[in-house]
Amino acid sequence: MDFRYTDAEEQFRRTIRNWLAENLPPGWGTTFQEPEDEAERFAFRLGWERKLHAAGWSGISWPKAYGGRGGTLVEQTIFQEELARANAPEYVNIIGRNLTAPTLMAHGTEAQKQRFLPKIMSSEEIWCQGFSEPNSGSDLASLRTRAVLDGDSFVLNGQKIWTSFAQYAQWCFVLARTDPTVPKHQGLSFILLDMTTPGITIRPLLQISGESEFNEVFFDDVRIPKANLVGELNQGWRIAMTTLTYERGPEEALPRLVRIGRDLDSIVQLAATPRSDGTRPADDPALRQKLAASHIDLELMRLTGLRSFSRLLKGEPIGPEASLNKLYWSEMYQRLTETALQVAGESGALMPGDPDAPAAGAFALKFLQSRAMTIYSGSSEIQRNIIAERVLGLPR
Amino acid sequence: MNFDFSEDQYLLRDSVRSYLSDHWGFTRLRAAGARFDPTLWQGLCGLGLQTLLVPETFGGAALSLEDAVLSFEEFGRALVPPPMTDTILVSEAIARFAPETLRAALLPAITAGTARLAFAHAEPGAAADPHHVGTVATQTGEAWHLHGRKILVPAADAATALAVSARLPDGRTGLFLCHLPSPGLTVTRNVAIDPDSMPGRVDFEDTPATCLGHPAFIRLLATSTAAAAAQMIGIADAALDMAVNYAKQRTQFGQPIGSFQAIKHKCANMLMAIETARSAAYYAAWAAADTANTAADLEHAVSVAKASSGDACRLACNDALQIHGGVGFTWAFDVHLLMKRGKLLEYSFGDATWHRERVAQRILETADATAA
Repeated sequence: MDFRYTDAEEQFRRTIRNWLAENLPPGWGTTFQEPEDEAERFAFRLGWERKLHAAGWSGISWPKAYGGRGGTLVEQTIFQEELARANAPEYVNIIGRNLTAPTLMAHGTEAQKQRFLPKIMSSEEIWCQGFSEPNSGSDLASLRTRAVLDGDSFVLNGQKIWTSFAQYAQWCFVLARTDPTVPKHQGLSFILLDMTTPGITIRPLLQISGESEFNEVFFDDVRIPKANLVGELNQGWRIAMTTLTYERGPEEALPRLVRIGRDLDSIVQLAATPRSDGTRPADDPALRQKLAASHIDLELMRLTGLRSFSRLLKGEPIGPEASLNKLYWSEMYQRLTETALQVAGESGALMPGDPDAPAAGAFALKFLQSRAMTIYSGSSEIQRNIIAERVLGLPR
Repeated sequence: MNFDFSEDQYLLRDSVRSYLSDHWGFTRLRAAGARFDPTLWQGLCGLGLQTLLVPETFGGAALSLEDAVLSFEEFGRALVPPPMTDTILVSEAIARFAPETLRAALLPAITAGTARLAFAHAEPGAAADPHHVGTVATQTGEAWHLHGRKILVPAADAATALAVSARLPDGRTGLFLCHLPSPGLTVTRNVAIDPDSMPGRVDFEDTPATCLGHPAFIRLLATSTAAAAAQMIGIADAALDMAVNYAKQRTQFGQPIGSFQAIKHKCANMLMAIETARSAAYYAAWAAADTANTAADLEHAVSVAKASSGDACRLACNDALQIHGGVGFTWAFDVHLLMKRGKLLEYSFGDATWHRERVAQRILETADATAA
C-alpha cells in the first residue's frame, strides 16, 4: 500500500493551486461574496466555469479527441480536490459534464459525440436531466412521458419534475416511453432535447431552502429529430442505468469530501470558540463525541473512496463498497448539519443575510439543503434495497 | 496512490483462509471445549504465521503489520482462539525493544513454534484510558518485579511467556516480559462471556520480569488495538454472512424473510458499517507498518479503526442474532460465538467512546492551533 502521490502528480497539484490563487476573484474566501440573486449567481458561476475552460482546465481526464486534456483519473481527482480546497465556485454544468458526457462517450454515435461533447466541455451548452415525474420517482421505470415516432421526429408529451437548472439549460436528456405495449423497463428511450423547441413550459419549484434550483417541465407536442435518439429505440432503460452509475464514481466522491471537510472545520472552529458565559461548546464531552463521529465518518469515506479509486486506477471492477458511497455521504452529511446546529445553539436558526448568523448562516441553510440528499439520486430506502438485493443477493 | 494489498499479501490471506476452512470451523471450536488445541497451533505454525514479524536473523519472515492484517481478519472470521495473534504482536515488541539476551532466547523459540505469548493488559476496575494500569513494577538494582492482577489474558494457561503492562516508577506505563512458570505468578481461568478465548486471571506477587520500557508498551498497545479492529471486521463479516444466508432460506408468511424490507435494510446497514470500517482497519495496519508516520498519526489511525470496527461489529452481531429470531438465542446456533468474541474485543484497548474522545482532542488541538 502507498498513499503518496508521484512527484509529477504533486507538481500538477501545485500548478493548479497557484493558478487558482491567481485567478479566483480578488478577496475570494474573505471579502468577496457570490451574488445573492439566484440568476445572477448562476451567471457568475457559469462565467467561472468558462474561464476554467479558456485556461485549459476542462475535461482533465476526457479524451483529447473530444477537447479534453487526455489526463489521468488521478489528475482529474487532484484538480477537483484543489477546487474544493479553495472553495471555488460550484459547477453549473454538472449534469452535462458528469452525466451527459459519459453517457454519450459510452453510447452515443460519433456524430452525437462531435456535436455535443465540445460544447459541454466549454460550458457553452448547459444540460438538465429529464427523468423523474410526479408519479415516477423511486419507481422511475413506470414513467409516462410519451414519445411517438412521426416520420423523422419523435413527438413528446408529458411532464418531468425536479429538473435542476431547466430554467438555464440549452439541452435536456429525456427518458420517455416509446412502446407502451411491453413491460415497463423495455419500452423506454433516451432522447436528447433542445430546450428552445416550441411546446416546452418550465415552472420553477420553490424549495424549503428558499432556493428554486429545480423545476417542473411540461411537454406539449414537442418535436424532436429522430437523430437525437441515443442508442437503440426502447433500449433507454439500460442507458439510463449506466448514466446513474456515473454519479457514484469515486473520482467524484473524493473532492466532495474536501468540501465536507471544510464544513467540519468551520464547525470545529465554532465549537472551540467561547460563548458569552466563557464556556465553549467543545467543553461538553457528549458534543465532542459527535464532532469525533463526524470526523471519523469523513475519514471512513475518504479511505473507502481511496480503496475504490485504487481499483479503478488498476482497471479492476469496483467492489461492493462503491454502492454504499451515496448512501453513506448523504446520511453522514445530515448528521453533520444537525451537529452544526447543536454547536451553534439557538443562533443557528439565523439564515444568510442576518448580521448575527454564525458562519454567515451556512449552518441553517446547509441543514435545510441536506434534507434532500437522502432523497435525490436514489433515496436511502432504494439504495438499501439495491445493496441488499444486488450486493448481498437477498430475494426481491 | 494504491490502497490495495499486493498479490503476495492476498496469497498469504488465501493460505490462512484455506487452512482454516479445511481444518477449523465452529464445530472444531466447540469440540476444543475452551482448551488449547495443539493441532490448530501446529497447523498455523505450519503456515509460518508466528514468524511474520520476527527478523530474518532469527529465522523470521521480517514482514509488517500491513502483511499480517488480513490474517488477523481471518482469525476473527473463523474465531481462531489465542495465542497466535498475541504471539505475532509480542514478537515484534521483543524484536524491537527487548535486551539482546532476551531476543536471542525467545525469538528462535517463537519461530520454532515452541514459545506462545500473551499480552496481559486488562485489569479489574481499570480506567477507560488504556494507558493507565494498576499493576506496578518495582526496581531493585537491575532487577524488576511485578505486583498486581491482570484479567482476560488470552490463553494465559497455554502461554510460555507473558508481555505485561505495568506502571514504572516515573508513573508512565512500561512493557515487561515474564516467563511461565515464574515465582509469584498464578494463572487461573476467568469465568467470562467468551470462554473459547480461554481468558485468564494472572496474579503477580513480586514476580521477576525483564523491562522492555515505555515505548515498547506504546507500540504494543497500538498494534494490539489495530489487530483487534481487524479481527472485529472478520467477526462482523461472518455475522453478516450468517444473517444473509439465514434470511435467504428461512420462510415465514410464504416467503423468505430476506424479501422483507426490514431485514434487507438491516443487512444493508451492516454491510455499510463493515465496509467503511474495513478501510480504517487496513489503513491503521499500514500506518503501523509505514515508518514515515508520526506517533500521533498512528494513534489517530488506530483510534479511527478501533471506534468504527467496534461499532460495526456490535451492529453486525446484534442484528445477526435478531435476524435469526428465536434460534439465534440458542447455544446450538453459532451467532452467539461471534457476538461474544466481538464483545470482548469491542472493549479491549479502549472502547469506541474513549477512542472518539482521543480523536476529538486531536481535532480540537488542530483547530486551536489554526486559530492561534
